[in-house]
Amino acid sequence: MKPHLGFLQASAIAASLIAAIGLTPLASLADETCNSPYMANLIKGQEEFIHVWTLGIDGMGDGSDKLVTVDVNPKSAQYGKVINTVSVGGRGESHHMGFTDDRKYLWAGRLDDSKIFVFDVGTDPARPRLVNTISDLMQKSGYVGPHTFYALPGRMLIGALSNDKTRDGVTGIALYNNQGDFIAKYDMPKTSINGIKGDGYGYDIAINPGKNAMLTSSFTGTANYMRALGEVIKDPAAMKHFGNTMVLWDLKAMKPKQIFSTPGAPLEIRWSLNTGDNWAVTATALTSRLWLIKEDANGTWRAKDVAAIGDPSKIPLPVDISIAANGKSLWVNTFMDGKTRLFDLSDPQAPKQVYEKVTGKQVNMVSQSWDGKRLYLTSSLLEKWDKAGAAGEQFLKLYAWDGEELTEQWKIDFEKEKLGRAHHMKFTARPTVLTATH
Amino acid sequence: MVAWTLSAAFALAGPVRAATDPLPRAPTQQFVAPAPGTYRLEVIQQAPAGRVLDSDGRALDFKQVTTGRITLLSFIYTYCVDPIGCPLAHATFATLRTQILATPALAGQVRFVSLSFDPVNDTPAAMKAYGGEYATANAPLRWYFLTTGSMADLKPLVDGLGQSAAVQTDADGRPTRLYDHLLKVFLLDAQGRIREIYTTAFLLPDVIFNDIQTLVIEQHARRPKP
Repeated sequence: MKPHLGFLQASAIAASLIAAIGLTPLASLADETCNSPYMANLIKGQEEFIHVWTLGIDGMGDGSDKLVTVDVNPKSAQYGKVINTVSVGGRGESHHMGFTDDRKYLWAGRLDDSKIFVFDVGTDPARPRLVNTISDLMQKSGYVGPHTFYALPGRMLIGALSNDKTRDGVTGIALYNNQGDFIAKYDMPKTSINGIKGDGYGYDIAINPGKNAMLTSSFTGTANYMRALGEVIKDPAAMKHFGNTMVLWDLKAMKPKQIFSTPGAPLEIRWSLNTGDNWAVTATALTSRLWLIKEDANGTWRAKDVAAIGDPSKIPLPVDISIAANGKSLWVNTFMDGKTRLFDLSDPQAPKQVYEKVTGKQVNMVSQSWDGKRLYLTSSLLEKWDKAGAAGEQFLKLYAWDGEELTEQWKIDFEKEKLGRAHHMKFTARPTVLTATH
Repeated sequence: MVAWTLSAAFALAGPVRAATDPLPRAPTQQFVAPAPGTYRLEVIQQAPAGRVLDSDGRALDFKQVTTGRITLLSFIYTYCVDPIGCPLAHATFATLRTQILATPALAGQVRFVSLSFDPVNDTPAAMKAYGGEYATANAPLRWYFLTTGSMADLKPLVDGLGQSAAVQTDADGRPTRLYDHLLKVFLLDAQGRIREIYTTAFLLPDVIFNDIQTLVIEQHARRPKP
């Protein structure tokens, strides 16, 4: 039996460990519900910082893409203010980000030049530092447009949008280790499985470890996402180059098992985080539908069109979703009409819209706090797809949700602050106290 | 002897969790593990170099316990009470040990390593006591209970394997004896290359067993045919 050390002795040992080994506490106060949630324990409380991956605008500020950090701790004197920016140089269509498995690093991708920037957000989340730039995605994999960053233990899955030859949506998933070294690539399927042909397109990645299941969705290639949206919509040939499928993969083997027909560019995928649930949802951008992907009683996975989002004939363009921690509700942002909509998911087979509010002239990403009481929104979709003139406002907004009404708490005008186009968000908090005894 | 069981581990859940949090759960496997040899485990990275101490206090090159056999390695500390931390890793190793010993040809190709990330408290003697009967030197499946001689020896191993760990603080911000660490179990091939990493959600004994067999099949396939 080991003797129990006195507190002072233990504290000294612990302090020496911190000093000697350079370890930093892992705990963070809060998390949103839409990160790779199974990689690390999520702490459910008040988030302290929002990091916004922001596209530079020529002539605005330094014109560079940047990681913008906002203090969102209500107890802070800087609450609702930009407290840090890290410019990465140039403009390359900054888009999405993802944490490593230990949530100490944030990988952020650019869809145009395919660069991936790695920020240390664990040492001091108030002041992220750029610690690595990965520039070999195209060279190593042939893929371009790194979009989704989804952590696996010790490594990162990178879902790409396109390829370096045809520039359409045919692409795949690249695997890098946490040091930034390329490991492997996995093409999106173009063959038929059970009578459904894969289109080879990619977009989001979402994993259910208990089921050894990975779902992927599909969007479009460089030729479309780097072209003005108005032109794309009027070009019938271009409109043929959008993804219409989702794929269920054997995660361990990284092999496609099933292909689902989900017409109209299925984008973000969210598994229900409710214990015992084994289903996921997605929204199709062009056809404005919610889809449920669920295993039936016979163990067969099926994708089912379960609801319309707004009036699909008006193409409201659902662009992001955020599922509640209990899997009972889903926020959906529709870009064209600037609405934030809430769906009741109590019966995932029949979601019902229960609330909507215009939250901007254009509204894109939506991230809710774990307790569902706070909703953060940004405005930018893609540089060439954002609205023009006054309708093209750029912001980060916080809304409070009391169960009945969204109430704006504050707004940061990203143009007035000379920052750029606000796109993807991630939450962090300073290393802090855990409930612990000694 | 320290022979953790899951139920015993869960009984220790109280001190490190907020009262309002649900009790953390061990992962549940809701699928049939893919058959050994039907998939490839990618080479994630090479294991780092370094020095460790065995439970008799002998200095070993880290390579001695990470090459030559397939290795399942986890960082632990002997007084960890996080039910989805070290006790879960220990229980998983114990389950796998039983499975592997039931296949004698496999037992000679595998080793387990439990390595402390607290060289101050977890002396070689403490590791020996922690290992108990599992630490038997002449067992067909060797299970090493290792520590390091200093923080300087520990750091390259922690960093090189990508094992995050930190000291928990109490309500007044003072460090406690407890470590907050993302549980990781590393599977290394006989060349000392990391081929799989299991965090809590992936710590499924049947899957790990098949992964070990997959590496054995790969190893046999690489051997020159007579």
